[in-house]
Order: sequence, then C-alpha cells, then structure tokens
Amino acid sequence: MVENYLIIGGDGFVGRWVVEMLIKRGETSITVFDIVQRYFDKEIKHYQGDLSNYDDISDCIEKENITAIIHTASPPHDGKSEGLFWEVNVEGTKNVIEACVKFGVKKLVYTSSSSVVYDGYSELINTDETAPYPEKHMNVYNETKAAGEKLVLEANGRNGLLTCALRPCGIFGPNDRQAIPGFIKVMEQGQTKFQIGNNENFVDWTYVENCAYAHILAVDKLSVENQTAGEAYFITNGTPVPFWDLCRLIWAQFNHYPPYILKFPSSFGFVIASLAELASYITGKEPGFTRFRVRFATTNRYFNINKARNRLGYEPLVDLEEGVKRACQPVLNSLNNN
Amino acid sequence: MEFITSSFYPTEILALIQYKFLRSNNKSKEISSWSERKKRCYQFLEMTSGSFSSIIMELEQEYRDLICMFYLVLRGMDTIEDDMTIPIDKKIPLLRTFHEKISQKDWIFTENGPNEKDRQLLMEFDVVIEEFLLLPKECQDIIIDITKRMGNGMADYIEKTSHDRYSIITIKEFDEYCHYVAGLVGIGINDLFNAVGAKVPSTSKNSKIIISMGLFLQKINIVRDFTEDLNENRKYWPKQIWTKYVEEIDELILPENKISSIYCLSEMILNTLLHVIECLDYLFTVKNGDILIFGFAAKPLIIAYATLALTFKNYNTFAVKNKVKIRKGEAAKLVLQCTDMYEVARLFKEYTKVILKKNNDSLDPNFMQINIACGQVNIQFL
Repeated sequence: MVENYLIIGGDGFVGRWVVEMLIKRGETSITVFDIVQRYFDKEIKHYQGDLSNYDDISDCIEKENITAIIHTASPPHDGKSEGLFWEVNVEGTKNVIEACVKFGVKKLVYTSSSSVVYDGYSELINTDETAPYPEKHMNVYNETKAAGEKLVLEANGRNGLLTCALRPCGIFGPNDRQAIPGFIKVMEQGQTKFQIGNNENFVDWTYVENCAYAHILAVDKLSVENQTAGEAYFITNGTPVPFWDLCRLIWAQFNHYPPYILKFPSSFGFVIASLAELASYITGKEPGFTRFRVRFATTNRYFNINKARNRLGYEPLVDLEEGVKRACQPVLNSLNNN
Repeated sequence: MEFITSSFYPTEILALIQYKFLRSNNKSKEISSWSERKKRCYQFLEMTSGSFSSIIMELEQEYRDLICMFYLVLRGMDTIEDDMTIPIDKKIPLLRTFHEKISQKDWIFTENGPNEKDRQLLMEFDVVIEEFLLLPKECQDIIIDITKRMGNGMADYIEKTSHDRYSIITIKEFDEYCHYVAGLVGIGINDLFNAVGAKVPSTSKNSKIIISMGLFLQKINIVRDFTEDLNENRKYWPKQIWTKYVEEIDELILPENKISSIYCLSEMILNTLLHVIECLDYLFTVKNGDILIFGFAAKPLIIAYATLALTFKNYNTFAVKNKVKIRKGEAAKLVLQCTDMYEVARLFKEYTKVILKKNNDSLDPNFMQINIACGQVNIQFL
C-alpha cells in the first residue's frame, strides 16, 4: 500500500529533513503544508496555509487523500508570542486531529519535545516516558507542546487513527537557527573562557537526521498489531556529554580554543543572571544572561531512549561528534567564501 | 615500601593495615592444614600474581583451588611466551603442546633465561601438575581446553611477529590478541564456576561480556606498560592507532612528540574504555549470586579502572623508568570497599569524574568520544 504522506511544517528545519529522507527512499506521494514555502521540489505538492485555520489544513488532507501525517510544525521555542504558541501548538493540533478523524487518516506522528516533562528546576537524569508532566511548566512553549502532545495521544484510536508523539531534545544540525548559532554567538562575543558550574552535568542532544529518521520509523511502525500507538517516545543521540565539553567541541570546529577557563559556581551565575534580568527589565532590552540559561548550563538533562529502541527499532544514525561536524560545516563554508 | 608511597594518604595507610591483618588472620588456620605441595602452589600464586592473589584467596576453598591452578597453568605458559631468550622454533611447539604437558606428572621446564621473572614456577612445575590432577576431571578438561586455545593463539601471534615488523596492525587484530591472552581466561573462569555449581551466568549466552572482562584487563595493562614492553621489543599498541600520531612506534617516547604521544595515549585509553560497559553488564549478572564471586569479578575491574584513570593523559606512561601504577594503599582501599553493587557504582563514578576532569583539551581528537564513553559508564549506575 502506497502511503500518502503529509509533512506539516515540511519547509521547517526538522520537516525538511523528513521530506528529503522520504524522497531519498523513493516515496512518490509527499505533500508539504507550511505557512511559508522555502523549497520548490517538483515532485512535492505544496500547500501554503495557516494551521490555526481549520479549512486550510482540512482542504489539503481531503484533496490529497492523506494516509499518514508527520506534524512537525511549531513556532521556535524562543519566540515571544505566547498567543502564537497556543494557536499553533494547541488549536492547530486540534485542527489536524479533527481533519484526520473526519477524512480517515490512518497515522499521525507528532513532534513533541523532551521539555514537556521539564519544570524548569528539576534535574532530568536518564528520565524515561513514565515521568509525569510537571504541575507547572517552565514556560508557555513547554505548556503548549505538552497540551498538543496530550491531544495527539488521546486521539489514538478515533476512527482508526493511530498516533504517537516523539520527544527530541536539543535538536541541532546544518542550518539550524537556534542551537549552533547560540554557541557561535558566545564565541564571537569572546565569552568562551567562562564556565559556569563544574561541568559535571550531562546533557543530551538530538542530531536532526536522527530526529527525522525517528519520525519515519514511527510512521512505519504504527500498527494495531503492536504497542507503538498512543505512546510518547524520547528521541536523542543516546550519548549524554558534559555540557561545556560540547560547547568546546563546537568551538574546536572553528579552530577556536579558549586560552584559559574561568570557572564560576552556579550560585554566582544565578546572582549575576538575576541582576542582568533586572537591568533588562529596567532598560527594556532582551537579557542575554538569564537564570534559565544558567540552569540550562549546570543541570543534568538526559533521557532514557530504550522505549524508542525497543518499540520503534530506533538507533541514532549519526553520532554526536559527527553530527557536530556536519552541523558546523555550512557556517565554515560561508566563512571560507567571504 | 608500600607504606612509604601511601604515607601521604592516611586513609590508605589504615586500609592497608586493615587489609593485611584481615588477609593473614582469616586464612592462617586453613593454610596450616594444607599439604606442602599445595602450600607451594599458593606461594607461587602470591609470587607471580601480585594483587590478584589476595583476590583469589577471598573465594571459598572449592572455587579458590580451581582459580589458583588455572592461574598457575596460564602463568606457566605465559612465562614461556614472554621469554625472549627462547628461540622461536622451540617456543612455538612448546606453546602449542603446553596443554598436554600439564597432565604429564613430573614435567618441568628449565630453559628460561636467567632474568625471566617467574622462571622458578616452571622449574617446579611438577608441583603444579600434581595439584592440577587433583581437580575434578571436568575442571581439568576446561583448563586443558582453554590452555590449548590460548597456546595456539600465542603461537600464531609469534609466528606472525617473526614475519612482520609489526604484528598488531588493526584494532581488530589487537582485540584478537587480547582475546587469546585474556578473553579466554574470562571464559575459562566462568566455565569453572559453572562446573562446580556456582551461581554464575551461562557462558554461551554471555560470552561477549565475559570476554570483555578479559579484554579490558589486558588492554589497560598493555596501555600502562607501553615503555616497559617497548624496551623489550614487544609492541602491542595497534599500528592503526599510533600511525595517526607518529611514523614509528618508538617515536612516541621522544620528548618533541609529547603532545602527539598524549593524544595517542588518549586513543588507546578510549579503545580500552569502550569495554567497560560490557564489564559492568557482567557485574550486573553476578551481583545477586555468590557475594564472594561478585567481589572476585568486581575487584580486578575497579583496580583496572582506577589504573585507567591514572594512566589517562599521564605522560609518565612514556617515561623510561617511572612505572604508572596505583598505590598499594589505594588498591587496598578499593578492594575493601568493593562489597556490593552500590559501592562499586560509587567507585566507578568517582574515577569517571577523574577521567572527565583530565579530559579538558578539545584539541585532542579523542576529546568528545571519551566524554561519550564516560557518559555511558555513568548511565549504567542509575
């Protein structure tokens, strides 16, 4: 049976990787739905629309007789518009689900996030999918991703629809606009010599190709005959590393090696961050140094991916070090061309 | 001597005193009832095995004799393999037939060079054979089989060495060599325990992790003993690794190559570190069985892991005289603390921190992979 794929957010970072992997393996029926078109493959049908408009997404699903949906669309987590998070992650996801149920879509794979179990304070040490949602989420983005995930998992079984949610962590890769640029900015600002905390906290990351691969695996595996549907899965590289050492590996790609390291205890970092946030509140400027970032850099945050291994057959295709090299390559190329 | 090197570490002095007291007190009554021949065997064990002897002594008697004899048989064969004064055309047949010698009463070997450290063992090998022949037949057969396979592996290696300048080219060949000289030991020990009804996992189902125990212990010794081996023209580091850093293996000891040598050492450490996960898997399979067998497996592991942490980034590995070795007091402390899985986990985490703290040079090509390997070790203990 030929699957008619719809990649929602298919012109985005993860979505585009999914599309390219499907093309590469010879899929012949791929449709992309996104708010802006960035790629123009002749073999791909493209629908431009707004996920928060039910008719936009339902028209697409009906016309293309979609059988499997990979829903990767989400505003960037560092975006400022809380309303947009609710519109896309919650209302938009409701619209997708309603259209799936109405038009008999068989499979829905949702890009969730590992942050759906993060309260902004606790350590996440080899956390698996039995961890509950926090009573209070760290921010609106996390809250809306969790709400979207719940909707998707609860929709499992409605009119034959099979669903699951994938929870990647720290997605990075070539041309990503959040992870690698952040580390490069630190380098450009001459701040690589500072280290907050003792660098004994381990952090997980997900290289983008591994993330996309997990989505395709999930579509392939979803079936009434196994235990894959109606479940969430953490998807990472499975190789947590000390936080600052990953930073140093990234900087090493640019032949940058901090001349020395100045170490501050995390408590000192929190004080400085609080002052920086107060200053930004007074001046109206965006703070670069925040308590969240201090906590991000100094806490353990890694996940147990055995459920994805056992039920989806997931194994990372690209290891962390190779992923970092590939992720930095486009920036290196552009530097060399200037 | 042991007290001098530990004198700056008071808790180690206490551990060393406690360790020696417990050791001598527990066994003295039992030992007095042994035959002279058996006493001599255990003297050889202590003379030739270093800290392993005390670990063996902690086993129940029925297990202890098996492991002692197995150890002495292999040490005997190793004493032939190690001896560079024995001509190759004589050594190879000896290794290939050593498994037959151990059933021949009164057989001894008197042709080791005068400087071969354990030559006395072979000069009195008839004593070992007598005690070996007292073991249950099934156990004798296990030891004979392992000795045969190991002897052939060693002989193959020597034949290759005589033809090629470097006999260990690839990492795969490195693993094969370590399998013959050490991986098989793990298999043999597990089989012996099984043969006498000890609660240990099936060898056939767990051979990969059992072999990893041997590979890990062997590799850390090979990494640590680089200079000592080089001085005796033994080259065990795989060419596939060192050729990334120097053109000839001897160049690793040249001061101008210090940075490259340390990076090469990092890669050897990484290669060794990758076995630790499987070693810990083996510990997890034995942790609910016989507590003494658990200790028997865990103690060499944690001492080797501490040695790995000490050797990593340690330029003394390439020094002519200085031998990289953990202090006797530290070893005693580790042995005493190796009481259950919780304590072992704590010790492993402690030494993982040491490794990570040293891993601070992002110019080292192995920088991230060592971080990843350490992360995997930590995950085992959650």
